[in-house]
Amino acid sequence: MELYTKEYFQKLAKQLMFTLTEEEAEGIVEEFKVLQQQLELLEAIDTEGVEEMIYPFEAPTSFMREDEVEHVLTQEEALANVSNKYDQFVVLPRVVK
Amino acid sequence: MQYETVIGIEIHCELKTKTKMFSSAPVTFGQPANSCTNEIDLGHPGVLPCLNKKAVELAIRACTATHCTIDPLVKFDRKNYYYSDLPKGFQITQQFHPIGRNGYVDITVDGEKKQIRLNRIHMEEDTAKQFHGYQGTSIDFNRAGTPLIEIVSEPDMRNGKEAAAYVEALRTSLLYMNVSDVKMEEGSMRCDVNVSIRPAGSDTFGTKTEIKNLNSISNVQKAIDAEVARQTEVLENGGTIVQATYRFDEATRSTVMMRKKEGTVDYKFFPEPNIPPVQLDEKWIASIQENLPELPSQRYERYTTVYGLSDYDANVLINNKEVSDFYDEVMKHTKEGKLVANWTISELMAILNRENTPLSDCKIKPEHLAAMVEMIAKKEISGKQAKELFPDVVKGEDPKKLADARGMKQVSDVSAILAIVNQVLDEQPQSIIDYKNGKDRAIGFLVGQIMKKSKGQANPQLANQLVLQEIAKR
Amino acid sequence: MKINDYKTNGKTPLQNATEASLYAKELQPKLNAMVTFTDLEPQVENLKNISKDALMYGVPIVLKDNVTTKGILTTASSKILGNYVPVYNAHIADKLRDAGAIVIGKSSMDELGMGGTNLSAATGPVYNPYDLSRISGGSSGGSAVLVAAGAVPFAIGTDTGDSVRKPASYNGIVGVKPTYGRISRYGIIPYASSLDHVGYFTRNMYDAALALEVLAGRDDRDMTSSFLPVEKYTEYSHDVTGKKIAVLKNVTDIIPSMELKEQMNHLEEELRKKGAVVEEVSMREDLLRAALAVYFIIANCEATANHSNLDGIRFGVQEGKDSYEDIMTKSRTAGFSGLIRKRFVIGSYGLFEENQERLLRKAQKVRRLIVDEMNELYKTYDAIVAPASLKGAPKATDAEDKLSNEYLIAESYMCLGNFSGYPSMTVPFAMVDGLPVGLNMTCRAFEEQTMFTIGQAIEEISGWCDKTVEVK
Ligand SMILES: [Mg+2]
Ligand SMILES: [Zn+2]
Repeated sequence: MELYTKEYFQKLAKQLMFTLTEEEAEGIVEEFKVLQQQLELLEAIDTEGVEEMIYPFEAPTSFMREDEVEHVLTQEEALANVSNKYDQFVVLPRVVK
Repeated sequence: MQYETVIGIEIHCELKTKTKMFSSAPVTFGQPANSCTNEIDLGHPGVLPCLNKKAVELAIRACTATHCTIDPLVKFDRKNYYYSDLPKGFQITQQFHPIGRNGYVDITVDGEKKQIRLNRIHMEEDTAKQFHGYQGTSIDFNRAGTPLIEIVSEPDMRNGKEAAAYVEALRTSLLYMNVSDVKMEEGSMRCDVNVSIRPAGSDTFGTKTEIKNLNSISNVQKAIDAEVARQTEVLENGGTIVQATYRFDEATRSTVMMRKKEGTVDYKFFPEPNIPPVQLDEKWIASIQENLPELPSQRYERYTTVYGLSDYDANVLINNKEVSDFYDEVMKHTKEGKLVANWTISELMAILNRENTPLSDCKIKPEHLAAMVEMIAKKEISGKQAKELFPDVVKGEDPKKLADARGMKQVSDVSAILAIVNQVLDEQPQSIIDYKNGKDRAIGFLVGQIMKKSKGQANPQLANQLVLQEIAKR
Repeated sequence: MKINDYKTNGKTPLQNATEASLYAKELQPKLNAMVTFTDLEPQVENLKNISKDALMYGVPIVLKDNVTTKGILTTASSKILGNYVPVYNAHIADKLRDAGAIVIGKSSMDELGMGGTNLSAATGPVYNPYDLSRISGGSSGGSAVLVAAGAVPFAIGTDTGDSVRKPASYNGIVGVKPTYGRISRYGIIPYASSLDHVGYFTRNMYDAALALEVLAGRDDRDMTSSFLPVEKYTEYSHDVTGKKIAVLKNVTDIIPSMELKEQMNHLEEELRKKGAVVEEVSMREDLLRAALAVYFIIANCEATANHSNLDGIRFGVQEGKDSYEDIMTKSRTAGFSGLIRKRFVIGSYGLFEENQERLLRKAQKVRRLIVDEMNELYKTYDAIVAPASLKGAPKATDAEDKLSNEYLIAESYMCLGNFSGYPSMTVPFAMVDGLPVGLNMTCRAFEEQTMFTIGQAIEEISGWCDKTVEVK
C-alpha cells in the first residue's frame, strides 16, 4: 500500500492534465483502499478462459458509412466555441516541439 | 570495427477518400482553415465515430498490393494522449487487430532483388495541422480525422539505398492502387525511419534512433547515411547511442536531435467502445481484390511484352504515373507502341522538363499524339516534319490540320508514285540513257520532275527508290 | 396530466409550454432542478411544420443537460462546459422536435453524469419534491423531480449504472432505460460508452410506451444503434397471465424495514392474482458483490478517455495562458470538481498497461460472467425484479458519492441492466416513511413490450398512475 501515496496520485493527475489538492489526493488514497477491498472480491472470481465483454451486444455489425460529404460545419460554427482564435485559426501559445 | 545497419520504416499515408475516417466532413487540401470539419473532427462533446467504407476499401487495396493477410473482422482501439493537435485526447487506431498483417514488398537495388517484410498495416485518423509562428501556434482542424493507413515494416533494410528503394516501391504501388496521393512534400505520405547499427555478424539489435519528417525519398537515403555515420562515430569513440528522435537538416546534410525518448509512453490502449467489430463481407473483399487497379509490375509486363518497349523505356514511363497514364490513353488510338514511347519520353517529357510544368497543365491530347505517330508510321509525314509540328501539337492543336495547312502531306502510296515515275520515264528517254552512261545526276533530275508532277507531295525517298527500280527494268 | 392530455386540454401549445415553464421557474428556488430555460416561441412557431397527430405535439418536456442542443447552452452540469453552446443537435433532440415536443429547459445532473446523488452539479444540489431536505438522486436528478412535481409529463435522462432508475425510485415516477442501441446516443455527452443509455421519466406506463415510440430507432451516426424495427409499444398487452417474474432474493433478503417488506410481499401476491408466475431466485452472491467494482472500473476507465476532449481549447471554459499544457491543466483543474478528477485518476490507473489485466480486463471478464448468469435466469423468466432502493431518498447531508462497502448489492445491482444492455425500468409501488420507493424490473433484450405489460400490472396494483407531488 506504500506505493499508493498522495504523490503517486498527484503524478497520475499531472499526466491527465490537471492537478489535485493535498486534500483531494488524500481522498483518493482513502478511496483506493476501498477499491482494493473490492478488487479482492473481483480477484476471487475465477475468470480462467473467459473473454472480456467489451460491448453489451457482440454480434458484429456490417454497416459502414458511404463516402459522401454530408454534414460540414461552417468556419464560423467550427470556431464559435473557441476562446482564443485569430484569422480563421484556433490559437495557442507557441507549441514547442 | 565493421558495423551492420538495421533499418525499419513506418509510413503514414492519407487515403484518397472524399470524407474523413469517422465523419462525413470533406477531406481536402488547401481549403480555408477550419472550413472542412464537423463536430466529430473537432472532438465536440457527445459525438460518435462512424466508419468510412471507402477508407476500408482503400486499406484492403493497400493490403492486397503488399501481400498482407486481411483480417475480415475490423476492430478499433483508443490511443490516449494529450496534445494540442489531437481533438479528442485520443486517436482511434487499430492497435490490437490491424487490418493487414505479414506482407512484403519487393525491391531491386543494384540489380539485386530483395523482399522487405511488412509487420502490419492499420487504419487510423490524422491529427490537426499546426503552424508554429513567433506569436504562437495556429491550428487548422481541416486535416483532423483524415483517414490514414500506417504501414510498418520489419527491420529488414540494411542501408539507405534499400530504404529509399522500399519507400519508392511502396509509394509507386499506393499511387497505382489509387490509395493515396503519396505526396511526401505535401505530407500525404510521411516517413519515420528507425535506424540502429550493430557489429557485423551480431544478431541482437543496437539502440535505435528515429528520424522523423522526411520530405522526399532522396532525403530518406541521405538522412540514413548521415545517421549511420553519426552512430558509427559515436560507437568508434567509445560512446553509446541514446534513444532519441532526430530530424534531417538538408543544409548541413546531418541529423539533428529533436528530443530524447524518456522511457516508453503508456498510451493506455483499449478497445473503442463506440465502434462494434465490423464484419467485412468476404465477397466484397474479393470484388475489391479482383478489380484492383493495375500494379506497376503488371504495367511493366504489358509494356515490355504487348508493346515491345525496352526495359528502360518501360521504367521511365512507369516511374511517372501521370505520363504513363497518358501513354496508355494514346495507345487507345494507335498500335505504334514504340514510336509513341519515343515521342512521349524524348520529346514530350523533354518539353515538360524544360518548361517545368506537370503534364496535367499541358494541353496535348492523347488522340493528337496518336494521330501524329500514325502519320509518321504511314510515311505521310517525315520525322523531321513531325518535329516541326510537335510544339503546336503540345499546345493542343490537331497534327493533321497542321500538316495540311503547311502542305506537308507526303504521297507515300507506292502505286500512285509508281504511275508518276513511269509517266516521267516515258517522257524523258534521254535521262535514262544519260543514267545508263554513268551520269548519276540524271536521277536527281528525274526525281525533281516527279516532285513537280506530284505538286511536291510525293515522298522523295520513295520516289528515288522507285526511279532506280523502274530504270533497271528498262 | 398525461402526455395526451396536453393535446386535448383546450389550451394552445404556447399556453401549455408557458405554464410548464413558469411552474418550473416557480419550483426553481426549492428544487434547483434547471440549468437553462429555453425560448418557447421559436419552438411553438416550428409546430407549423409538424402534424397535429405527432406523438408529442405541443407537449412541454425537459432535457437532461447532457443532451446537445444546437444554439442552446449545454453544460452537463460541469464548470468546464459552462459556456458551451453546441453547433449540432443530439439525435433525440431532433426526434423530439419532430414529434412536436416543446423543450422548456435543460435540467441539472451530477457533473458529467458521474454520480448518484445530484449533489455534484455545477449549479448545486437538486432536492427531492417529497422532502426538500432529501436528495433527488442522480445523475438525472433535475429531470426526475420536474416530472414528479408535475411541471412536465416527460423528461429525458441518461442511465450508466442506475441514473434514471434510482432517481425514479426516489421520486415516485416511472424511469425507463430501454435496450442498449434502441435509442441513439449521438449527441449525448457521455459518461461510459459501453454502459451509457438514453432513458426517460414519465408518470404512467402508457406514456412510457408512447415515449419509446418517439425516441427509438436506427441512427447511422451511432454504430451501436439497432436496426430492429420500432414497435408500436403503446399496443403492449395488459395481460400478465403466464408472465414469469423472478424476484431477486439477494436483494429482497436484506430489505431493512418491515414496511417495505410487506409492500413487496403484497405486490407479489397481487401479481400472482393477475395470473403472473412470481418466484424467488438467487444469483451467485460473489458475482453480485463484485458488480460494483466491475461497474466502477469499466465506467471510470471509459470516462477518463471520453472526457479527454475537455481541454478548453476548441470549446469550453479556458484558463491559463503560458503554454498549451498550462491551458489544458488549468482549464481541467478549474473545470472539473475534485470528485471527477479523482474518478479520472482511478480510471487512468485501471488503463495502464501494467494494470489493465488486473483491472479493466478483469472487470470486463466478470461482466461477461454476470451477464451469462442473467441469461441463465432469462431462459425461464421474463423479468427479474427487486426494489430499486431499500429506502426512500436519503438526506442530503447523509448522501455521498463515494465508493462504499455498505449495502453493496442493493446499491449496485441495477447496473446489471447496463452490463447486459437489457431493458430495465423502475415503477413506483411503495411508500416507506412517507417516501416513495420503486420496483426495478429488467427484461430480455428488446423485450420492452413485456416490460410495459408487467409495469402496467404493477401500476394497476399500486394505483400510482400520473401521481404528482405538491412541493412544500
Ligand atoms: Mg506508429
Ligand atoms: Zn500512426
